[in-house]
Amino acid sequence: MRFILACLMSLSFLCASDYYIGTTSHSSDDFEAEFNSKNNENIFDPLSGYNEIMTSFNDKFYEYLLRPTAQGYAYVMPQMARNGVSNFFDNLFFPIRLVNNLLQLKFQNSLQETERFVLNSTMGILGFRDVAGEELKIKAHDEDFGQTLGYYGVGSGFHVVLPFFGPSNVRDIVGLTGDMWLNPITYMKGRGDANLVDNTGQALAATALYTINRTSLHVKEYDNFKKDAIELYPFLRNFYESRRDKLISE
Amino acid sequence: MKRILALLMLTVLYSHSLFAIEESDISLFMQNNIDTATTLLRDKKMAKAEKSEKLFAIFDSIFDYTLMSQLALGGKQWAALSPSKQTEFTKLFEMKLKISYMEKLDLYTDEKIVIKNLEKIKDARIHLTTHLMKNSEVYEIIYKFYKDKQGSWMIYDVDILGVSIIQTYRTQFADILTKEPFEKLLEKLKQPNEPAQKKQ
Repeated sequence: MRFILACLMSLSFLCASDYYIGTTSHSSDDFEAEFNSKNNENIFDPLSGYNEIMTSFNDKFYEYLLRPTAQGYAYVMPQMARNGVSNFFDNLFFPIRLVNNLLQLKFQNSLQETERFVLNSTMGILGFRDVAGEELKIKAHDEDFGQTLGYYGVGSGFHVVLPFFGPSNVRDIVGLTGDMWLNPITYMKGRGDANLVDNTGQALAATALYTINRTSLHVKEYDNFKKDAIELYPFLRNFYESRRDKLISE
Repeated sequence: MKRILALLMLTVLYSHSLFAIEESDISLFMQNNIDTATTLLRDKKMAKAEKSEKLFAIFDSIFDYTLMSQLALGGKQWAALSPSKQTEFTKLFEMKLKISYMEKLDLYTDEKIVIKNLEKIKDARIHLTTHLMKNSEVYEIIYKFYKDKQGSWMIYDVDILGVSIIQTYRTQFADILTKEPFEKLLEKLKQPNEPAQKKQ
């Protein structure tokens, strides 16, 4: 009897000490490795000074100009119309998605993108309604040139915060420039010869409308998202880089 | 004597099975949790304090806040802290996580959240993939579980759209700590509602 009792006692002590260790220090290197592998310490960030300033500039721009404008716009434009405008622009950016899907050899997706473009441009009345997505459940496959570069193994390079655009990195800036040539807005007044300088006014206005419209649809989400930030710059940098990695891997 | 023996038996048995969430139960358990949470949030009549109390009770049973705090701070930093500082940090960080998660759920009460996939990564790791449908978009949320010492599966991280919550905090804390002392970090954690006023 005593023996059994002693056995049980020691067993329970073992459990207790086990438990104690478990709660105070989960010293498993497993976890540390999991989060260190993503290499956040000693991240190569030569522009961090500039980036931080630009982040707060962009944030001020959002707080004092973009959000109020978007909210005013939302006040006069009903949600349905704004969704329509959003669909219209998404449909317009079809060349970017098609080319980059093709470059990444995603033929199934390219085909679906083309189906979407044809259906939405016609039955969806110039793309204002996303018929393909709503009725036929053909989803868009967002790909851009930055992702294409990533797909072929190009590293992200260091982080760069762009004025107005927000977080980016060397690879994605190259990507943005590449996509510009595929963006119909660039050619708005081009009429055959692509003259980037000539049509900056209109292109800018179109981009502004696109941005304001998109912002108006996501104000609540973005504000809620931003509330999680303790330090805005590293918060956004980490979010952007992880998100891009994820998008490239898909 | 027999009584003591029985008691001991019980404690030994219970220390293993109490609150243990089994592997096969995770999907169902989480679906129930998410459903209860969204129903609670949709309830317009309930007082806010009561609501968060009930929600936090649900979160508490599945989130391992101590481990999350430790991971967010990083092993080295964590080990350098005194136990009282560790507790203080954990408490503040726990609150931050809870409020943030509650607000996320609150924002998406009208959307459907479905459980897509349960994947066993390693012996002691499970990833539960859920999809949140909004309009035509799908947001992917992955809950990461680990098997704790009691054999119960607990969440140690959540991936939203491919972004790990813990990693996000880890980069921020690392950034703050290279410039400022630990006390400052605690202070920053203490004022989570500061941008809330701006929201209006």
